[in-house]
Amino acid sequence: MQSIIERIEKEIAAWAPEAGSEETGVVRATGDGIAEIDGLSKSAMSEMVLFDATFDRTLADALKDPNPIYGLILNLEEDGVRVVILGDASKIYEGMLVRRLGRLLSIPVGDSLVGRVVNPLGEAVDGKGPTNATTIRPIEREAYGVIDRAPVNVPLHTGVKAIDAMIPIGRGQRELIIGDRGTGKTSIAIDTIINQKHEPEKTRPICIYVAIGQKESKTAKLVAELEARGAMAYTIVVTAPASAPAALQYLAPFAGATIGEHFMEQGKDALVIYDDLSKQAVAYRQMSLLLRRPPGREAYPGDIFYLHSRLLERAAKLSKEKGGGSLTALPIIETQEGDVSAYIPTNVISITDGQIYLEAALFNKGQRPAINVGISVSRVGSSAQTKAMKKVSGKIKLELAQFRELEAFMQFSSDLDAETKKRIDAGRRMTEILNQGRGVPLSFEVEAAVIFAATNGYFDSVAPEKVSAIEVQLQEYLSREAGGVLMAIKESKEIREETEKTLREKLDAFVARHLSA
Amino acid sequence: MIDEYTRLLEATAEIEDKAVSDAAVTKLIMHLKSAGRMKMLPQIARELKKVAARRHALRPTVEVAHRKESEAALRAAAHEGIVAAHASVNPALIHGWRAKSGDRLVDRSAKRALLTIYQKVTV
Repeated sequence: MQSIIERIEKEIAAWAPEAGSEETGVVRATGDGIAEIDGLSKSAMSEMVLFDATFDRTLADALKDPNPIYGLILNLEEDGVRVVILGDASKIYEGMLVRRLGRLLSIPVGDSLVGRVVNPLGEAVDGKGPTNATTIRPIEREAYGVIDRAPVNVPLHTGVKAIDAMIPIGRGQRELIIGDRGTGKTSIAIDTIINQKHEPEKTRPICIYVAIGQKESKTAKLVAELEARGAMAYTIVVTAPASAPAALQYLAPFAGATIGEHFMEQGKDALVIYDDLSKQAVAYRQMSLLLRRPPGREAYPGDIFYLHSRLLERAAKLSKEKGGGSLTALPIIETQEGDVSAYIPTNVISITDGQIYLEAALFNKGQRPAINVGISVSRVGSSAQTKAMKKVSGKIKLELAQFRELEAFMQFSSDLDAETKKRIDAGRRMTEILNQGRGVPLSFEVEAAVIFAATNGYFDSVAPEKVSAIEVQLQEYLSREAGGVLMAIKESKEIREETEKTLREKLDAFVARHLSA
Repeated sequence: MIDEYTRLLEATAEIEDKAVSDAAVTKLIMHLKSAGRMKMLPQIARELKKVAARRHALRPTVEVAHRKESEAALRAAAHEGIVAAHASVNPALIHGWRAKSGDRLVDRSAKRALLTIYQKVTV
């Protein structure tokens, strides 16, 4: 009690009437989360304003509802401004006083956000109290230029064999995850977050998961899963659920990027997942139409490309002079009926450094993750791939492509020669090896050892349908009996001659013990 | 087109002379008739009402907590560049005064001071 009194007395003693005047406006009209404001003639784009409900109330009434409502200026007009309301729009009324805050929309960032669930304004929504983050950063900023960047050359392991082997992602890269609803896009993102547990603490990226326009139950389930797997220790969740105003859904990815940049500038690595940008585009379209901006293709505004390009361009690998940190972006786009040639998918495909395309047909066939290897690509990731992974996965993509062609041919011809049949069986086995359930990301050294075994014929005697079960046994065997080999791969990030020799011995022993019968 | 007519009429409203503004309205109606645009008149009237409401909302006002503070408040507001003919009483201010004109607000009330302290203490 005494400390509270002291604090209040200190504030009263320090109080002095503010000199000069403030710039204010008056709400002319409001509706659909947008307010038209008279005044504020000197305000700037993207500036924050405060809707002051206390102005025409008594002190007692003002204290009953102390939560401020902010707005974001998005249209500057001849006789006023149009503002998107970042909060409960039902509390805004005609004639309400609006104060200009003189700063661009900013959010608090800092290490104390790690492990927390926050909204796009940086306010905690997990019921664990305030975040106590003190550094304030503007939500919009220009991306780093060419001079400040370094080439992407450090891998970001997802723990998903198919991705790490064929579509590798580097730290600082922007890799799009695209596919229809229910094809496992979020699962890949979550597995990637969980897999960072395998990384040494020093180089482990801080993960930021941005949930845009999702059901709150889904986000709650996801947070619970991350907590159960110990991944919240290095993860921040930014959520703008489906029930949130369109303005917050539009801002959420920018908030995620801002938080990620904070860590990047400290020389750390950060990974930000935007789940998903299709919903953000829809929210932005809604806002733009309500702001009476002219609609373009599919009724999206003309600057929808710029919206996504300026967001994704903020992903970077910084040069040594800038601290060497990185911000990797994994944007997610939901397609309709597999149509990748729609407006938003083509835009984001052209902005990113590659895409992982998930196909509903493959998903229904039982392939997990349902990646279509043919049209999935990573444009910069291969230079970030470890020597070990490069060595073992060199030919997989080509072999799988050949297998798919032969598989299609097989549908018309039942009489196949021995060589073709052998190739088809090898393809089936490789597909089974790359099959991986949800929530079981593998450490990079285990991935490398398993793929080494597959590409060096250790599974050749196994029927394709039994490969998955044998692979599980192999993983257990390796972690039990070949810890030294795995450690050597992990530390050197390559399979040296002596390591390969030992690994072959271990694999021979495994084959003798488990497959000879 | 409606905006342009409204802006022209708005400009004439600045002129204090009623005869001049009446003449302007008469000329506008004659012009609309000859151009076959009389349909626009209700919309022009609506726009003018909006403009008038906007001007009313942004007009200079001075509020005081107690009647006895009026003179000092009007003087202080004038010193800040906000000139109003009289001050209205608003007991919600508790003490002091506040003045508003256009998009400028000067708030020297005890209510604002207490709210500022409350916000600083509770954040």
